[in-house]
Amino acid sequence: MSTIDDLSRLPPPAPPPLSPLLEAELAELPPVATRRPMRQLVLLVAISLIYGAGVLAMLTMRRDLHELPMGWLVGAGLAWLLGFVAPVYLATVPRAGAVLPRWQLAGVSAIAGALGFIGLGLLLHPSGPSSAHLDWAGFGRGHGCLEFGLATALVPVVGGAIFLRGALPVGSRRIAAALGAGGGSLGGLMLHLHCPITDGLHVGLMHGGVVAIAALLAAALVPRATDLR
Amino acid sequence: MAEAKDLMTRYCDGDAGAFRELYTLVAPRLLGYLLKMARERALADDLLQQTFLKVHRARTAYVRGADPLPWIYSIAHRTFIDETRKHKRAVVRVGEAEELPEVPAGLTGESDDRRDDGRGDPELMAAALDALAGLPVQQREAVVLTKLDGKTVAEAAEIAGTTVGAMKVRAHRGYEALRKSLGKPGEASPRAASKAAGGAP
Repeated sequence: MSTIDDLSRLPPPAPPPLSPLLEAELAELPPVATRRPMRQLVLLVAISLIYGAGVLAMLTMRRDLHELPMGWLVGAGLAWLLGFVAPVYLATVPRAGAVLPRWQLAGVSAIAGALGFIGLGLLLHPSGPSSAHLDWAGFGRGHGCLEFGLATALVPVVGGAIFLRGALPVGSRRIAAALGAGGGSLGGLMLHLHCPITDGLHVGLMHGGVVAIAALLAAALVPRATDLR
Repeated sequence: MAEAKDLMTRYCDGDAGAFRELYTLVAPRLLGYLLKMARERALADDLLQQTFLKVHRARTAYVRGADPLPWIYSIAHRTFIDETRKHKRAVVRVGEAEELPEVPAGLTGESDDRRDDGRGDPELMAAALDALAGLPVQQREAVVLTKLDGKTVAEAAEIAGTTVGAMKVRAHRGYEALRKSLGKPGEASPRAASKAAGGAP
């Protein structure tokens, strides 16, 4: 369309001079420390893991720990750990040469984490002689796991929000969801090592549900802090 | 002239001159984008100043060594969206031909008598701008970024905070709507219809 092509060839307009407000800001311009994403990520992961370990120490380890298949215990533990680190990485560290984090992938990781852990919990939940079962009848009594999981998710979410405060002109909701999903996965890791309830409904909907609910809550609340206004 | 990322780094180190150089480098392109989105020179100027004020206040969020342009464009995008939401004027509609602003003059910063210099028919370009202003904001932005500002679809998606697929769809629909509007005089803006009929706007 030649008219549109003509428009694209127009020279850029001359901008106005800087506003008095900006001139005043520039009159006293101190050097600032800029964001260092990898350092923030390492700090966030370290603080969150220490906090998660503290919560676990307070709650004690699960009583059926030695009765469960070691492969599942380690594999699921690593999956929870990956579910924590991967979304937090995508939410805080941009690709090389970019300022903004990878919010599209972060959003995908939040959804994948939430659905994945709910699905895995429903399908894979080995038990031992001293494991407990609630099933549908006692499903509601397992809400403590949801609460402890969300409490564990609080630190990575708040930490991430502090590191990214006022920094995101776009994609803040997806980044918040990823921080929430990451925090929820840390909560899931803590529950994986603490909770002896092994029925699929509890593991899937309560432990896996922590990831989904933390992601939704973070997506609703965190952009208030991280949006660039 | 120095690269934007070098200027941004020096500016974050407290060099006010680097900010002025960055403004000189980036502001014309950014103003062009904002002007095509807002369609009013005064509003576009205001949005430009707001954008740079936000860049200034958020400079601690900059990552050293990164290209600041997509980030600055995203801030401009967000500033425009916030402003249109605030004033509920996502689409600037024009009614009578007499009400039309002198957009080409505002757009290029040149006077009417200097514009008819082989860069295209000013009346048709004004009609194209009218048609552009009539598009929904998302389609307008997609057309402006990908067709007028020369960004790739991926860059435009990054700036607008959407997916590549969604940006492709928006750009395609916007372009088709523009083509339809400009291609059929009966459906075009009053200025285009007037031009097609050989009359004065």
